[in-house]
Amino acid sequence: MSTPAMASGSAVAAHPAPSVRAEPAEAGAGTSTGPGRTGEPKAARQPWARRRYALEIRQHMAWHRQAFILAAAIGVGLLISAVILVAAGVPAGELADEFIVQTFLDGQNLRAVLFQAAPMILVGLAGAMAFRARFWNLGLEGQMIWGAIGATAVSFFEIGPPSLRLPLMFAAALAGGLLWVLGPALLKLRLGVNEIISTLMLNYMAANFLLHLVYGSWKDPKDNFPYSPQFRAFERLPDLVAGVNSAILLAGLVALAAWWAVGLSRAGLYLRFVDANARMAQAAGVPVARIVYGAVLCSGAMAGLAGFAVAAGQEGRLTQAFYQGYGFSGILIAFLARNNPLAACLVALLVAALFVTGRSLQVFYQVPFSMVQLIQAVIVVCVASSDFFIRHRLRRVGGT
Amino acid sequence: MKTALELIGIHKSFDGFAALTDAHLRASWGEVHALLGENGAGKSSLMNIAAGLYAPEAGTLRVDDNAVRFGGPRDAARARIGMVHQHFRLVQPFTVAQNILLTAPAAEGFESHRRRLRRIDAAIRDKAQELGFDIDPAQRVDRLSVAEQQRVEILKVLLAGARILILDEPTAVLTDSEAARLLSTVHALARRGAAVVLVTHKMADVKRHADRVTVMRGGRTVATVDPKQMPVAELVRLTVGESITAPAAGSARATPGPVRLAVRGLRSPERRGRRVLDGIDLELRGGEIYGLAGVGGNGQGELAQAIMGMTGDAEGEIALEGHGDLLRTPAPARRTLGLAAIPADRYGLALAGGLSVAENYGIGQVHSGRYGPAWRLKRRAMEAGARAAVAAFGVQGVRSVAQKAALLSGGNAQKLVLAREFGKSPRLVLAHSPSRGLDVRAGVDVHARLRAARDAGAAVLLISEDLDEVLALADRVGVMVRGRIVAEFAQPADRQAIGRAMVAHG
Repeated sequence: MSTPAMASGSAVAAHPAPSVRAEPAEAGAGTSTGPGRTGEPKAARQPWARRRYALEIRQHMAWHRQAFILAAAIGVGLLISAVILVAAGVPAGELADEFIVQTFLDGQNLRAVLFQAAPMILVGLAGAMAFRARFWNLGLEGQMIWGAIGATAVSFFEIGPPSLRLPLMFAAALAGGLLWVLGPALLKLRLGVNEIISTLMLNYMAANFLLHLVYGSWKDPKDNFPYSPQFRAFERLPDLVAGVNSAILLAGLVALAAWWAVGLSRAGLYLRFVDANARMAQAAGVPVARIVYGAVLCSGAMAGLAGFAVAAGQEGRLTQAFYQGYGFSGILIAFLARNNPLAACLVALLVAALFVTGRSLQVFYQVPFSMVQLIQAVIVVCVASSDFFIRHRLRRVGGT
Repeated sequence: MKTALELIGIHKSFDGFAALTDAHLRASWGEVHALLGENGAGKSSLMNIAAGLYAPEAGTLRVDDNAVRFGGPRDAARARIGMVHQHFRLVQPFTVAQNILLTAPAAEGFESHRRRLRRIDAAIRDKAQELGFDIDPAQRVDRLSVAEQQRVEILKVLLAGARILILDEPTAVLTDSEAARLLSTVHALARRGAAVVLVTHKMADVKRHADRVTVMRGGRTVATVDPKQMPVAELVRLTVGESITAPAAGSARATPGPVRLAVRGLRSPERRGRRVLDGIDLELRGGEIYGLAGVGGNGQGELAQAIMGMTGDAEGEIALEGHGDLLRTPAPARRTLGLAAIPADRYGLALAGGLSVAENYGIGQVHSGRYGPAWRLKRRAMEAGARAAVAAFGVQGVRSVAQKAALLSGGNAQKLVLAREFGKSPRLVLAHSPSRGLDVRAGVDVHARLRAARDAGAAVLLISEDLDEVLALADRVGVMVRGRIVAEFAQPADRQAIGRAMVAHG
């Protein structure tokens, strides 16, 4: 997500670089203290508070330095979170133990993290894909719901032989999410209808239709709870080795495909141009409309698969509120990962780990679960702020 | 004469690249001081420092012999320095008065917005009359022509209290007569005691209108001289550093081939009672350059976009030899049919500034599968291709092909566009103001490339508001007025007659 200033592609001289000073205008204005014509570096002898600094817009930064700044921002966010948790009553000595040892080194918890991460990776990828095409898909939840409905329909109506049931559910979920975003995509590209509104509103339609199904015709006849009948064993995503659900494998494969599409294929280059300057891309011969449709439909399909991962991997049926929170998480993950598919996997794992740890903190230390959301928010704010250091540089004026 | 503005030993770098190293300038009250230099010589950077937009890393600014330091444009305005930028800083949907209100100093004590607007209104009328401008303060800025917008900018800085006026490339966007008018206004301001710094790369402006000229090259000041005392050749040598060989006049022309492009009855939809394109008819043959002259804003941009496929609502016919009507053919398909385009809006339509030089180069040829199949983009091959093209087309200032295209100066950005567009031999070339804003050397390069394309058999449509450029390049000349081609001339064409046609139908 680049800022408009960068995307407009103005030349260096077009950026008015604001300058900040650590001193009032009068002080040091004379040639006696300021670096004079002789160019002698006098700034070195100035007291710290009297040095002048200029804030410049940075045009380019090597990727490894960007990664370092990003990592530092996450580190600062975690540090602040740790302080908050200690203030909330978690013993400082046990924080590292809870977060690292218990979460990643304990088999049970690691399985829980991977279990939680699969749909998060998928919605994160869905967000990243659409945002790369400058399509603000806020309908991830709606597309997820339709993905789950598609998969459940295959199970409910017993379509296809048992051996093909799971692939059919997969395809139906993919199609469900894809079709639910097709409307907003057509409206946007044909008629210029704002996709933020259309995708967001369609979430409510999908959610209410879901309630209609689980309270109505699809309600499980065995008990009277609002959910669909339990999927049969062959309709559920199987466990891999050591009880790790295969949903994470599915998410990983989709992430690899997304990485290939945006990083290695020709369409990925087209997508970069659509993101940077769509009119220029059109003029240079990029099939802009096709690229946008492609990216947006992929986004919808991935969100649909996230619905499939929850329904067939976690719940084993269609429930009434399985999707809640994933829309926000998807946007968050895509943002933190800068729309990069591989980074989205890492961020999704981190978010999932936070969830799992949060639950155990809740149990063992009576920390409210909203604390987890607070930590998420702190990290997001830190990463968003780190953008400032990637886009600007602060340098001393008048010295060397 | 007393010194108005003095910049001494200014250093400034951007992202490690030194834009100014030891630049000087001294402008006196009552003079028009020209600042001359090629693209990327550092003229605009130096003036942005004078206007408080950039903070220098070293060096001193003096106004009226007092050292000053600017924390921003407001400080500069307080020191009575005002700058008119090359790209105007106007809020398009606001009226003239509202725009000027933004920067005009507030009155002492409380003043209602309404009363303030009325005061500004009166001040604009006074000032406009004094300068001989015909400006309605209630008019919206986006309804004004470029020349009128420039007048609004000048009024804006004067009403903000400026006595030191910096004009950055003011004549680049104007026609000959508009430029002459502007420069005489500038002269009058100087005679009344103001100091004017005129940033330009046009030798003629300097020769005719400047009292003194400071020449910059490569971020340094090389000389300050009296232009009346110095022959043009010597000024050129100072600016460029070495002599440029003039283009070979009257290069051997291939005989024009069959009609490559035929535009018939091209019209855009009617808006507010007029059509921007109102029935364009023209024929263009392979192996010729057709120059379309005309005052800016007569539909040139719309014609270029219609040919590129960027507008969906034009009617009529654009027929390409061997293909038929192109009007409903999308832009990408036109590219594969052999269209090369050099649009006027460089960072709007030709380059993606935020992406790398290699990507901006590669996007022109990647469709053809040159850099690998659709499922596997060969970035290394693309980067190697870009490096070769950057060298072949003499694009300067490329430290690495991975750097952002936005870092290139105007002339070098245009060379990158040329490298991409001429990377494969095109059948039809559309060039819209291809040398606008470029220095002499870069302009000569661009013209040589267009001639070479013509000699290789391409049909070249040159749309330009610079009559010198049209006359130097075109085999036939058309004149565009109000969305029509009103006259055609064969070369050698009579400059006076073309000039009359440009204004006669207006």
